[in-house]
Amino acid sequence: MDKKNVSGQPLDIIDLEAEKDTDGSKVLIEFKDVCKKYQQGDHEFYALKDASLTINEGEMVVILGPSGAGKSTLLNLLGGMDSATSGHIMFDGSDLTTFNDNQLTSYRAQNVGVVFQFYNLIPTLTAYENVALMKDIKSDTTDPAEALDSVGLADHMHQFPSQMSGGEQQRTSIARAIAKNPRLLLCDEPTGALDTVTGKEVLKLLQDMSREKKRTVVMVTHNSFFADIADTVIRVKNGGIESIIHNDAPKDASEVNW
Amino acid sequence: MLTRKMWRDLLKNKTQFISIFLMSLLGMLVFVGIDAESSGGAAAADSYYQSQNLCDIWVNGAGFSDDDVRTAKKVSGVKDVEKRLTLTGNAEKYDNAYMHINFMDSNNINRLLLYDGIQFDPDKDGMWVQEWFARTNGINIGDTLTVKIDSMKIDGIVRGIIDAPDYVYYVSEMDVMYPNYQKCGLVFMPSSMFPDQPVRYNRLIVDVRDDMSDEADIAVIKERLEDAFDRDDIAVTGRSQDLSFSTFDAEVKQHHAMGSMFSIVFLAIALLGIVTTMARVTAGQRTVIGTMKALGFKKSTITMHYISYGFVISTIGCITGAWIGYVTMPPWILGMFEGSYLIPNLKGKITATDIYATCLAIAVSTLVSFLSCRKELRDMPAVTLKPPAPKKVRHSALEKSRLWLKLDFATQWNIRDVFRNKMRSLMGIMGVLGCAMLLECGFGCFDSINGLMDKMYGELMTADNKILLSSDAGAGYAYDLSNKYKGQMIQESSVEFMSGDVKKSGTATIVDEGNYVHIQDSDFRSEKLSDSGIAMTYKMANLLGLKAGDRVKWHFVGDDKWQNSRIAQIYRDPSIQGITMRRKVYESMEYTFRPTSVLTNMTVPSDITDDDEVSSILNVAQMKSSFQETMEMMNAMVYIMVIAAVLLGVVVLYNLGVLSFVEKTREVATLKVLGFNSSAIRRILQKQNIWLTSIGIVFGLYVGWVMLYVICTTVSETLDMYPIISVATYIYSIAGTFAVSVAVNFMFSKKVKTIDMVDALKGVE
Repeated sequence: MDKKNVSGQPLDIIDLEAEKDTDGSKVLIEFKDVCKKYQQGDHEFYALKDASLTINEGEMVVILGPSGAGKSTLLNLLGGMDSATSGHIMFDGSDLTTFNDNQLTSYRAQNVGVVFQFYNLIPTLTAYENVALMKDIKSDTTDPAEALDSVGLADHMHQFPSQMSGGEQQRTSIARAIAKNPRLLLCDEPTGALDTVTGKEVLKLLQDMSREKKRTVVMVTHNSFFADIADTVIRVKNGGIESIIHNDAPKDASEVNW
Repeated sequence: MLTRKMWRDLLKNKTQFISIFLMSLLGMLVFVGIDAESSGGAAAADSYYQSQNLCDIWVNGAGFSDDDVRTAKKVSGVKDVEKRLTLTGNAEKYDNAYMHINFMDSNNINRLLLYDGIQFDPDKDGMWVQEWFARTNGINIGDTLTVKIDSMKIDGIVRGIIDAPDYVYYVSEMDVMYPNYQKCGLVFMPSSMFPDQPVRYNRLIVDVRDDMSDEADIAVIKERLEDAFDRDDIAVTGRSQDLSFSTFDAEVKQHHAMGSMFSIVFLAIALLGIVTTMARVTAGQRTVIGTMKALGFKKSTITMHYISYGFVISTIGCITGAWIGYVTMPPWILGMFEGSYLIPNLKGKITATDIYATCLAIAVSTLVSFLSCRKELRDMPAVTLKPPAPKKVRHSALEKSRLWLKLDFATQWNIRDVFRNKMRSLMGIMGVLGCAMLLECGFGCFDSINGLMDKMYGELMTADNKILLSSDAGAGYAYDLSNKYKGQMIQESSVEFMSGDVKKSGTATIVDEGNYVHIQDSDFRSEKLSDSGIAMTYKMANLLGLKAGDRVKWHFVGDDKWQNSRIAQIYRDPSIQGITMRRKVYESMEYTFRPTSVLTNMTVPSDITDDDEVSSILNVAQMKSSFQETMEMMNAMVYIMVIAAVLLGVVVLYNLGVLSFVEKTREVATLKVLGFNSSAIRRILQKQNIWLTSIGIVFGLYVGWVMLYVICTTVSETLDMYPIISVATYIYSIAGTFAVSVAVNFMFSKKVKTIDMVDALKGVE
């Protein structure tokens, strides 16, 4: 098995599965003493302090914590959307903290898919066009129709965001994220604006991404019920990592209630 | 996909983008339209002058013969010389039309352009008549035309219908500025038809060698000609001093200047529109930009995307405007030229300047849209995804003063709002400024022309009739006439002035006792004409670089006796530049007073013109009314300005209204929640509008005055026009601007009622 072959080609999914079965998981991301400091006037404030953690490829990770605990900062740093004040963030052997603007942009384009709490679709583009937009940034994208079909939106492809329900918009957002075939799928409170039933559907979709497609899914939430479906649960509090727990038998998304 | 997004975003913000589109369209329409028109006019004139071989230099004097032609031809740089006898007279028919009459024995310089009949032939008796005059008076080839020059009568058969390159513009003594070619004719005849032989020519026309035709060379040749003749009674002039050439030249230049000014106003407003609109669009799409960054779009891709809004709109606007301008403006304006300038083949011409200007306008618009969206692109995606930090509102100096506390809430709120949205406020002021400026300019043109007429024939010359005497009239006849009609005799003669190296031609007016001629000083205060010295016009003094108390050398054209006189007074005259003096001052220089006209307030029978001594009667009232009729050109200009003003005002203020309304929705909703009723809120909003409109009007009236000043002073070299703006114009401009502003604002403030408090205050997503 070539452990270094992690370029995200469909073939690798099979490789990874084999790998996981034999010698455990391959580390995709590693945080080493990461700090994020904000300056507000004369006042310094740590959104994240000395955070260290590892995330394995193909895992479903839930980051839990109350508002202001630093979980969004963690997610932003993971996604290359913000820069750390100190420490190192290793992604597949490369240190993100040494990246310049262009390298970070390319990292986001090639490796990361983001699902936002408020979907963040482009309002003047249809569902199909929102997904097709990814062709502008990455060459090996999934066909937009296929991606939308996989999230159950085949019938809503040509609707504008304003014509869709919240759940449909969030599924479009997921379709957009997975169309890139990202190695890392980041979700920021993906069910935060949805009702329980729709939220569950979305959770199921994300879990399937991890279980069936072997994507690394990192989800940020303040809802502790979601801890049950994760392979790994990272609890964050006051800018620090409180605990990291591995879940041997994660629940199915459909079994969660909140 | 991003292209699709752009089009849909443009559609979504259509009001603002349409206004940017319209402004860039109007800007380029006016610029290219007027540039194409004036360049085309200039090109048509150039090629006409070239093909008909317009002379470069005129030598005016008296008694020129073939010897003089030979003398002039010997001067180095001179290619060819011809002689002319140029006189004025009247046609026997056609309402006694004023005639410019030329006798010549060759026609290689200032060649006539033939429309009908046969080419000019010095050996063939006959008359070659100007086309407009012939057409409007129904004169055809083979008709007999009779012209009177003083007591002479000349009959001739019309052989050709022509135009002449040295007569693209000419006027009779009845016309002030606007020619009327039906009542003022032009005719050429062979010298052999002049009754007094041998002919004593009064003009030499000189064509210089092709390699010596730039201005500096011509100046040298002019000096050489003066030296060659060594006579003090001649005046050597170039094209710039020629009425026909210089009037058209000045007209073209004036159009150019005005076109540029209008365009700059429109384009400046288009740019301001782009700044405010793009800043709003990008601010409104902050989350979208953040998302695009988070998704991995390159900064350059996002930048290009937002720049493309400004680029696309200004490109469509500028190119459409340039095209419409080119297609519509030249035919329209040049069409109006037809009655004023006798130049064939007037048509618009696109120049490189037009293309550069279009590209430049697009480039600047694109740059401006880049600058206005740059702010949102700077930060990391995580920052852009969050709502923006609240705008910093600094307390202005005013707010710290005690006065602030005394102001009511509406005033405080509006002052803060104006300062917080400087660009938007500035754009509003600019729109109002442009609107007021154009209205003032438009109506001011009317005022200035009418003011000029009133000044000339109401303040400076107060007689109702001016009887023009022919050169046959002796002093005795003039005295009799003057006694009979209780008139005032005056003499008007051509003179040449010299001060240092500068030479200028002008008119000397000598006035006898009487009460019809008045003068005003340079500030338009009435003054008594000096008893002891000469008075010079303000414009002539400026041209010569002289002031009251200086000495000037001058002589009558056709007389080599030079005078060296002290300028006792400076006075202002709009139409005739030169000097004025009392008869006794004139006679003290040992000249004989020879009246050329008699001014009177009494009614003069029209059959008096049957006398050989009278060439025509000029009735001031009649002249004024016929002058009004020929003001078409001016009317058209005024229409353009008024239409442009209203359009400008509506487009800018509407755009502004949309902008501020959207921005203020939340604030207005908050005010509503707090319990302000709709009409109170409308009063608050209208208040700010009235302030900005007032500021815009104040500046607009000033800029309008400056523009009118530029228009007036560039009209022509011989006219001393000054801007006059009547109270009515101020009222129209102010009221018109306010009407536009209040009407547009009313539409928006009406919407206050429709703002749904709950909706407006919901999340900012």
